[in-house]
Amino acid sequence: MELDDLRRQWQQPEAAPPPLTPDQLTALLSQRSNGLVDKMRRNARYEVLFTAVVAMAMPILLPFAHNFLQRAQAMSLLLLALLMLGYYYRKLALLHRMAEPAGHVRGSLQQLGAGLRGLLQFNYRLTLAMVPASLLLIYGVTVGGELLRPGGARLKLLLILGLALLATGLLLHWAAAKATRWYLQRLYGQHLDRLEGLLRELDEAGE
Amino acid sequence: MDVAAPPPDFVTMLHQQQGLLRRVCRLYCHDADDRQDLFQEMVLQLWRAYPRYVPQPGAKLSTWLYRIALNVAISNLRQRSRRPAANELDAEALAVAQAADTGPDAEDRAALYQAIARLSDVDKAFVLLYLEDRSYEEMADILGITQNNVRVKMHRIQEKLRQLFARC
Repeated sequence: MELDDLRRQWQQPEAAPPPLTPDQLTALLSQRSNGLVDKMRRNARYEVLFTAVVAMAMPILLPFAHNFLQRAQAMSLLLLALLMLGYYYRKLALLHRMAEPAGHVRGSLQQLGAGLRGLLQFNYRLTLAMVPASLLLIYGVTVGGELLRPGGARLKLLLILGLALLATGLLLHWAAAKATRWYLQRLYGQHLDRLEGLLRELDEAGE
Repeated sequence: MDVAAPPPDFVTMLHQQQGLLRRVCRLYCHDADDRQDLFQEMVLQLWRAYPRYVPQPGAKLSTWLYRIALNVAISNLRQRSRRPAANELDAEALAVAQAADTGPDAEDRAALYQAIARLSDVDKAFVLLYLEDRSYEEMADILGITQNNVRVKMHRIQEKLRQLFARC
């Protein structure tokens, strides 16, 4: 049997499915999408909400800080929250572009693949940047505390701490790079591999 | 999530084109729950894209619908696997064919459905558009490749199906 034989049967009129009533349709449209991009968008929105709450809470809490350390922590959190909001803005814009379904199949596969790869790189860089940023923050707060110390800063202590943080940073950077790559590959890598495989398959026809 | 009631023109369009969406689901999913999930996802994506749909002179509504339906079916990165196990395939393929007809070629049709089910998601898109009697021009427009590539790919798929059919 050939595909042409099946085509004749496929095109035979079949029993029309019962029409969806507007109420059924409204109920259907109210349900959540289970697509990965939609899930990522939903998660990103929750993260934006949480980060925005942190960003708004910090200026309110700042006047209640008793000492330099608490003020520095509040300011650091505020700065971090603002940076993260910028990151989420870019992430949501990218996800929005990825969610466009009306283009042709090849273009849609390309866009999804490129978007997912961009997000992976984005998340990877962000996670790796967190290590030196956190260590610099710790060091900065310690240096600030020492400079304000009544007896003067203990330079030897700061030097030892600086070297210790540098060594820790290198070790953490190596570990974070390995762990992040593994985690992202596990989370999204299989989807990306599948998309790129489908795209290759579609392009094969032209070879 | 609350949504406003869909406008009557969307409801009418969906009613008219529901059969097309169901056929795409039928080709891509072998389990009734998965078919319903896929149908729901397609309707959601159509609903989201509908406000931006502008009919172009000479362009067909079906092209827009096939694009969205196939994009959802192929590349929507749905979490649930719709790829059935081999033994499930046999049973499903037979069930589809038997439900469709009980004529003298029922077993052959079942075998062909089984062969189609073993194709990749991209190949299934070609088969679907072929079964739906779309022209090479429209297939190229939906898939985003040239008409010549559609022709080459269709030829290869038919060869592949012949081999799979012979093994079934």
